[in-house]
Amino acid sequence: MTKQGDLSDRLQADVYWEVVKEALDDAGLSLSDVDGLIGSAPEGLGIRASLPGGAFTDFTGNPLRFHATTNIGASAQSAGMGLAAMAIAHGLASVVVIPTVAAGQAPGYAGADRNDAVARMAQLGSPYEYLWGTTRVADYAVVARRHMHEYGTTEEQLAEIAVAQRLGATLNPLSVNGRRGEITIEDVMTSRPIAEPLKLLDCCLVNQGAGCVVMTRASDVRAQGKHVPVVMLGWGEGHGYLDPCKAPSLAGFEGGRVAADAAFGMAGVTRDDIDVAGISDHFTINVLVELEDAGFCAKGEGGAFVENQATRIGGRLPVNTDGGFLSNSHAGSCGLFTTIELVRQLRHDAGPRQVEGAQLGYAHGVGGVSQVQYGAVYGRA
Amino acid sequence: MADYEKLRPEITPLHEPFWDSVKRHQVELQRCDSCGAFRFIPTELCRCGSAASTWTPIAGTGEVYTYTVVHRAPTPAYQAEAPYVIAHVTVDEGPRMISVVVGCDPTDVHIGMPVTLVYEDVAPDLTLYKFTPAG
Repeated sequence: MTKQGDLSDRLQADVYWEVVKEALDDAGLSLSDVDGLIGSAPEGLGIRASLPGGAFTDFTGNPLRFHATTNIGASAQSAGMGLAAMAIAHGLASVVVIPTVAAGQAPGYAGADRNDAVARMAQLGSPYEYLWGTTRVADYAVVARRHMHEYGTTEEQLAEIAVAQRLGATLNPLSVNGRRGEITIEDVMTSRPIAEPLKLLDCCLVNQGAGCVVMTRASDVRAQGKHVPVVMLGWGEGHGYLDPCKAPSLAGFEGGRVAADAAFGMAGVTRDDIDVAGISDHFTINVLVELEDAGFCAKGEGGAFVENQATRIGGRLPVNTDGGFLSNSHAGSCGLFTTIELVRQLRHDAGPRQVEGAQLGYAHGVGGVSQVQYGAVYGRA
Repeated sequence: MADYEKLRPEITPLHEPFWDSVKRHQVELQRCDSCGAFRFIPTELCRCGSAASTWTPIAGTGEVYTYTVVHRAPTPAYQAEAPYVIAHVTVDEGPRMISVVVGCDPTDVHIGMPVTLVYEDVAPDLTLYKFTPAG
């Protein structure tokens, strides 16, 4: 992955090939080995955007045998890893690349203009939401408010999530916010309100950046010895209610439970077995709610779970050790960075932020306002 | 009436009866002909599976289910009114509806607060429904 931040002075396509080649090299593979792609080809003219498989082949000369795109919002690429695993397991592909690249002069979410990004993201809901001046922050603020009402969750408990992740970011030289240094609960509490009860430091970054994951059979990784392969052990998706007016509750999301149960069931391990987790964190409340919905604590106990610093490196369940979307990167299909960090941790390659002896990791990603989710269990091979 | 610079609803045929009722200052929601449940936002099917429904007036009263006070708005037109309250309101007929809460200080809004619907003709061709504290 690149250093995360403003990449507006670079061509998106250049950054694309940089991360794809870097990831392939990391696995001891090369472009000519690739026969599968999840998501987009590099930006280009005309029909390239709508036929990514062919566009990719233009550069490699080897016809791809597999291409797929998922619709799990910011988690689309990391969720695409489930499809890639199925394709590889069934012999439909042997080496699948899964890049995400937000760089260059793209408009909106992938661009570097914060106001444009906020305005465009505000309209991702239905007109019955954005008519009133909702933003993505407001969409999650109502979740936080309801959760606080039902379970007594406090703003200080939410703040601890931001504090824990900033600690990780300060140990991550590629992160956007690491250089800004550590923060305290007081810093979060006194940061300016964005959509109450969420404040500036409860919110993810708006930034550019790029990364890529390569999936293949563990036995086909040619760089064995350089790295211990990380294996996908379990996978699940959950697509919950889209319309907030129709969701039975806004204090949690059924899709999260469905996805996590499937992933843990397939992996045959328990929540207690997990050493390190990556949990979608567009806002602090996400982490708290997803920890509950994914079953790491009982519903309503997320506040108490995070309060005793459980999600810090060295805690009971370190979460988003790279800084997450809050302090590392929220670029493109940013869920992919969640996975990349778990891979580093399970390879014991995370440097000063290494979770000691990590053997099993859990990734949990959301799209939209958490309506659609995936869960994945990864293990050190 | 100044030009309306905020976002407008997308009114497809399925949604027209709702917005027409808003324009008449009497919100009507679909009520399932089979199970009797009201539903919102407008959809083609009830959860019971029935497609048949009748647009039915609602009382316009409910209570706040959750809310937020927005300080950072999506566009300048909204920012001019910040801070403003967006609430999800459970109406007496059952469904939840989202709108702004007007006519009170944002700090007065709380979960469980009784509210009633009010209407605002914001443009010659557009009327909006909003909530205000009841009583």
